[in-house]
Amino acid sequence: MPDLDGGHYFFTAVVPICNAGIVEHEGMKSSPVHMVREALETLPTALQSPVTERVGIQSPFARSLRTHFARFVVLDQPYFNGRNHEDALAAAITGVDLLSAEPDDALSCPYLLVMIDFDPVRFDGRGEPRSYFEELWTLMPDELTAVFRYCYGFPAVKDARSFADFILPCQVETTMPFNDYWVGAPPLASMSTAALVAIPAGGLFIALVAAACGVWSWQEGLLAGLLLAVVGLAIDYLWIMARGRKPFPANPDATLRHVLKGLYLQQAFTRFAAQQQGRGPEERGAAFRTFLERCQPANLDGPTQQPGVIRSLFPKVDA
Amino acid sequence: MTVELDLADIQGGILRAYGRQGFPKARYFFLTIRDGAKARALVETLRPKITTAARWKNPDRGEPLLRTRNPRVKDVVRAEGVPDYPGEVQLLKPKVAINIAFTFYGLAALEVPTRTLRAMPDEFIDGMEQRAAILGDDPFLDRRDAIWRNSRGESRVHVMVSMNAEMLPDGTPVPELEEETQKLRDLCAQSEGGVILLAGNGPDNAEYQEMSAILREDEGALWPTNKEHFDLSDGFGDPVFEGQLSGEAERLRVVGGGKILPDQSWAPLATGEFLLGHPDEAQEIPGAAMPIEFSRNGTFMAYRKLHENVGSFDSYIRRQGELYARMFSVPGHEAEETVKAKMVGRWSDGVPLMAAPTYQDWQAFNAQLAEAHAEQDKPKLAKIALEFTDFRYRGDPAGATCPVTSHLRRANPRDMLDPHFASPDPKSWDGSALVNRRRILRRGLPYGRYDRAAPGDRGEHGIIFLAICSSLFRQFEFVQQQWMQYGLDFNAGSDTCPVIGNHPPEHDAKLVIATEPANGKRPFICNDVPQLVEPRGGDYFFIPSMTALRMIGMGIIDPT
Repeated sequence: MPDLDGGHYFFTAVVPICNAGIVEHEGMKSSPVHMVREALETLPTALQSPVTERVGIQSPFARSLRTHFARFVVLDQPYFNGRNHEDALAAAITGVDLLSAEPDDALSCPYLLVMIDFDPVRFDGRGEPRSYFEELWTLMPDELTAVFRYCYGFPAVKDARSFADFILPCQVETTMPFNDYWVGAPPLASMSTAALVAIPAGGLFIALVAAACGVWSWQEGLLAGLLLAVVGLAIDYLWIMARGRKPFPANPDATLRHVLKGLYLQQAFTRFAAQQQGRGPEERGAAFRTFLERCQPANLDGPTQQPGVIRSLFPKVDA
Repeated sequence: MTVELDLADIQGGILRAYGRQGFPKARYFFLTIRDGAKARALVETLRPKITTAARWKNPDRGEPLLRTRNPRVKDVVRAEGVPDYPGEVQLLKPKVAINIAFTFYGLAALEVPTRTLRAMPDEFIDGMEQRAAILGDDPFLDRRDAIWRNSRGESRVHVMVSMNAEMLPDGTPVPELEEETQKLRDLCAQSEGGVILLAGNGPDNAEYQEMSAILREDEGALWPTNKEHFDLSDGFGDPVFEGQLSGEAERLRVVGGGKILPDQSWAPLATGEFLLGHPDEAQEIPGAAMPIEFSRNGTFMAYRKLHENVGSFDSYIRRQGELYARMFSVPGHEAEETVKAKMVGRWSDGVPLMAAPTYQDWQAFNAQLAEAHAEQDKPKLAKIALEFTDFRYRGDPAGATCPVTSHLRRANPRDMLDPHFASPDPKSWDGSALVNRRRILRRGLPYGRYDRAAPGDRGEHGIIFLAICSSLFRQFEFVQQQWMQYGLDFNAGSDTCPVIGNHPPEHDAKLVIATEPANGKRPFICNDVPQLVEPRGGDYFFIPSMTALRMIGMGIIDPT
């Protein structure tokens, strides 16, 4: 289930856009997908570069304390890579007519590709992605309307529940999620190579033993052994695939709120450490107690970094 | 296969730094073109005077290994009676080395065909001003010299003519420099408005950027040094690439200068990293403007005028030195020198931290050096010369000896970015593969002077930094943006280079001087680092080969 991986939900959807006819906005007559692009291009990004920091208009996704990344892409048409490559000699021998066109695929309408990585409410992902999208609607209904308004089915959206009803059917499986929060290797048990070998080898062995004991002839034993070995390999395959379907283990303390608190503490502690240089242990100890009281390291709701910014700004105070 | 370069086709100053070849004085001129034909005529007149990389004889060169305070690796080869430079000697060393380079708009003004121009790289077309946000120059654009602030329209810098000159014992340039200057003025005047020599360098709007090595007085004469205005010795590490040196010189200089192979041996970098039209580290001839003879043996150069805030540097080192001395109970001088060395990666005289990790090691290193000098012990001096560049970082993963964010380690991380850097299995090691495509040839000289008794930030003093490479985007800009103005590749977050990085006050710029995690000694954090270096302007230039220069001057580039 790669949608849920490493404790995070990786949502992918392709939402068809109804691009028929002309729409009008502020005197501009255009195709619907033109307005979808404009809505996306004017959607503010997070305040994480000098330019956006100067602009100062925060991304609406920063209102959510569960969103790690959100990306939108308009898919107009699949890219046509040209004719399939083939061996010129083979084509000549098989009589391929190079003048007859090969088919190239086309979409019947543009699609909006939506990719959002967010924290599920529960680690097992139950209730997702519905709960996330219902919450998102309450945080940014106007922006979501501007982006999705020309998508098929959007006219039925009235509230949080109907927004989730609208987007969930467009979900496709995320086959390659990316986890960035593991520091060091996660605790993954390796499959036993010995066990993988033993299953098919065991089948072969049993059949050969049966032949040796005279239950089967040697020919029958060898045939049955080979069959059992193939069955063993199939069991290995299913076992490996079942293991592969298991989500990557969740990294503890990797929700957005944990990450924001971690970033805040890292910056606060660096400043604290620099300020303490050259001070005696008693003074330092007292200052550290004040630091702990002020920063409340275990309290995710306590002083923390705001979502959607590149750094926390600290007033210059003596610790 | 040994690469044999067509040395007489390559402009001088690329393979070797002029400053280290006995040209401690320089004037750089910037021209704008108003008439293509007249400008081509000027190029044609200048062309025979252009200094190339062809080998010359220098009758005044000093005794190898003894002629400089710090022994140099190239002298190790000379001391053995082997030439340190490829090719045959057919020339005498000139008094003034003259070279020429063009901005993209300069090539357009010279009427280079569109088909050739359009294959020029984006960053070269943009020019340095357009790349300000990438380089971190944007906060300083208003403080640039007038020539760079006004470099647009009728005053766009199109051509750079550089003159690197020998020096007289009184510290002034040889008179030939002024003679050549006057000839260039006359050439521009004769072009009847076709080519204008632009003023606007420095606070007095000079008609050229003057440069000079920092001089020291000895035996009644002035001698050039390798110091810059922070009083740090510079210019030790420079990439070594195929064809640049004679065989024996390459064998020695490749150690510390070349690339590290997976088996941890050193090899010269591919020629194509520094000269167009040659195979590069990706094992291909990189795309370049056509026809290929227009690009081949040419290269790109970033010219950057970098002001040095010597007042801020001195007072910051003093403040941090006091705190360091108090924390670690060491004398003030030792503390200040240590803080400086940890920022740079070398002690102030250039001895690398990797060769002399502590102040005491440094003193011992220098005592050995002094002894070898006194005894004129050439084998010992040769051994010491190699220590200035022969090191790797595998033994120092935490940066306890040389901080991972020091200027030196950022500029060339050597083996540190090996994905298997920490692996105990030598078979998995990858050497410097991730660094080989990010190397630059550093050239340039200091400019200006300041009152040593009262160092201040105002005034005209700094360094003209020249970065030469075949892709400014992949090499120079990457190093500047990712390694100097950012720290993520070194697991140091947004920390910028403590020396040349941007340090806006609201970012609390810092340098962490780490210690071995096991030894119990506390780390030291240099925080609130002030802005020490500020760009004062510059641009991106194409240095054509002599073949390309002839094609430009004659107007015969045929890109079909």
